[in-house]
Amino acid sequence: MMVLLMIAVAVGPLAGTAAAAFGTPGRVAGWAGAAGALVSLACALWLLGAELHRAPLLGWGGYLYLDSLSCFFLLTVAAVTLLASVGSVAYLSAEQDAGRLSAFQVRLYYVFFGLFAALMLAALETGNLGLLFVLIEASTLASAALVGLEARASSLEAAWKYVIISSFGVTIALAGTLFLYYSASGLHLAAEYRLAWPYLFSHAHALAPQSLRLAFLLAVVGYGTKVGLAPMHTWLPDAHAEAPSPASAMLSAALLNTGMYAIIRFLGITHARLGEAFPRAVLLTFGFLSIVIGVLFMIRRGNFKRLFAYSSVEHMGIIAVALGFGGLLGLYGALLQTLNHAIAKAVLFLTSGDVSLRYHTREAAGVRGLLAAVPVTGGALLLGSFAVLGSPPFGVFLSELTIVRAGFATSSPVFPLLLLALLAVAFVAFARTTTSMVTGPPPGDRPDESKSGSHLTAPDPLSSPGTPRGRPGGVAAEAGGVAVVLEAAPGEVPEEAPGVAPGEAGPGPYRGRAAGLAAIVPLGVGLIALLVLGLWIPAGLDTLIRHCVAVMS
Amino acid sequence: MQSLSATSAAGVLLDLSGVLILLLAFACLGSKLFNRYVAYYGAQSVVLSFAAGVAAWAFHSVELWILAVATLAIKGIGIPVSARRLLVQRLDLKRDAALSTGLSTSLIAGGALTAFAYLVTRPQLLPHGLVAAAVVPLSTAVILLGGLAMVVRRHTVAQLIGWLIVENGVFLGAITLVATFPFIVEAGIFLDLVAGVLIMLVFVSGLTRRLASASASELRELQG
Repeated sequence: MMVLLMIAVAVGPLAGTAAAAFGTPGRVAGWAGAAGALVSLACALWLLGAELHRAPLLGWGGYLYLDSLSCFFLLTVAAVTLLASVGSVAYLSAEQDAGRLSAFQVRLYYVFFGLFAALMLAALETGNLGLLFVLIEASTLASAALVGLEARASSLEAAWKYVIISSFGVTIALAGTLFLYYSASGLHLAAEYRLAWPYLFSHAHALAPQSLRLAFLLAVVGYGTKVGLAPMHTWLPDAHAEAPSPASAMLSAALLNTGMYAIIRFLGITHARLGEAFPRAVLLTFGFLSIVIGVLFMIRRGNFKRLFAYSSVEHMGIIAVALGFGGLLGLYGALLQTLNHAIAKAVLFLTSGDVSLRYHTREAAGVRGLLAAVPVTGGALLLGSFAVLGSPPFGVFLSELTIVRAGFATSSPVFPLLLLALLAVAFVAFARTTTSMVTGPPPGDRPDESKSGSHLTAPDPLSSPGTPRGRPGGVAAEAGGVAVVLEAAPGEVPEEAPGVAPGEAGPGPYRGRAAGLAAIVPLGVGLIALLVLGLWIPAGLDTLIRHCVAVMS
Repeated sequence: MQSLSATSAAGVLLDLSGVLILLLAFACLGSKLFNRYVAYYGAQSVVLSFAAGVAAWAFHSVELWILAVATLAIKGIGIPVSARRLLVQRLDLKRDAALSTGLSTSLIAGGALTAFAYLVTRPQLLPHGLVAAAVVPLSTAVILLGGLAMVVRRHTVAQLIGWLIVENGVFLGAITLVATFPFIVEAGIFLDLVAGVLIMLVFVSGLTRRLASASASELRELQG
């Protein structure tokens, strides 16, 4: 029964792949994919409920393995997949209607999107570290096709950079896996079990320390390339900027976490054998380097998708630092941060898709007055960026606070203080760009309005052609939005967002009510989830994370 | 753990193939012609499949035999032939002008990396007297040389060959260090390799159609 559920989780997203491969129109394939992702998330929740009350599940010679840690990451990735699949329907059909993507490209997108999600979910369900490598490398290849989908010179370049750097990195991780296997050669286990995580973990004391040390270092460098730890992060901003926005959301919120999951598995074994000092030194080094690099590049103003990508580098650095601090607080903070960052970044990238569809640019300088022009998108962007920066009412605040506390508890106060200082710089750098996108008067009233107006007239039955979008309530909405931020009481905005959506922002680039809803609903749902996580950690989640920490020690 | 001693016949043969593979990696690093890159890579893969055959014979392992045959068919013949047809001939590639350092500099750097590989892996890691102690530093050196080729060369085709050399280095390590790596995993790694090469072929030819030459030094649009 559990095994069937596990298979269902991984196979769910393939619904979109199958639909697209059999030649159904893009929109149908998109909804099929979203339905599959929903099934997948439901099964992951079910597994989670069952898992909390029983021992880890181990089958097929260790190739199939599920414990609380895998459940946690399954939940995160499945949730992000659902948000991104719904967002895909809106984004891809708008791109197709605008003639920027052919029907074939859209079908190709759904084929690889489903494959990508399924491979990542499968990677989280295996206990065999060799198979983990195989699945993560395969997911790299599937997502490379998404990055290069638009087939412009720049997106092909980004895809090339992504596939060659990540493949090289993951090959280094394979060398690490090899050394881990070799370090287990003193154990009397059958060949499969010598790569099976639960066996390695329970026999950690018998592993050869020298080759385990090398294995951990190679694994952090190798999988760190996928995670986007500096200095191996160079593919990340390009790939995130060039991929279609829902695919960027998947890269940032699901793929990076899958890489981090692999590092956590290696960390568990290394920690059990070599103690705290060595893994801490490695993770703190890479973590702080990533935070510094991410923050420095966030100061530069430019493409807003690159800004979000560098923020991902920063956040992955924070998670690595938290893992380095270790202890109950450190691990708890790292996992909570993983979940919060995943949801917040998915929301931000989906919003960026909406913005680039409306403004036809990815440059932050070309976007002004979002809140006045499209209140829902503007509000989501503003709240999403405050959420990702760790403003109080949202979940990231709690998790970053936990991480800083873990730092004070386990290491010298220099590290947490440095972390706090960097977080402050990040806040200013990031908010400087996004607030200037959100506030101000809507873009150059005459020329741009007429351009988007003509863009609207043909396809849209919902709006009367010449109506300036959202103009009547524009000023009020802007004032309201600012007031909301000042009062730090954003609870109402995300909740009313889905309700306001179809009437207000539907007449954007989307044809039909369903697509408009598909663009808005994931944003609202994600923001509400972040808010909930910031105000109250559900008891089930708390137990789950505590179980994860117990798995690791 | 079954491991070969360095003095057994199979051990000597493995050691010899390891040295040949390293030399071929150096040859590739010291060459400037696309034809040669592909030819050296093909020769290296043939030697690798021979090494896998030796290991299979020594361990009486059917799986390793399958692996040796697959290596010969795909890496030794399939990839070099298709790279020559689809890339070198169709794109009319001759001399690689996109090197970021001179050949002699990169060869010297390669020598330094080989010494480094010995320094890192030799001393405490592996017990003396096993063939692995001789071959693992070689395979580490091959990995580093492949990485160096990817850094020094700026042409996409040359970078692809560099990655394939890295992959060969890891495989050489795998068959000597841990001859009993689970077969499903090995097969999966092979599948990934094939899929990776296919996808990279698509990107390289797509890039070449967009830009006049598919040299990564011209890929300057995305910076910062």
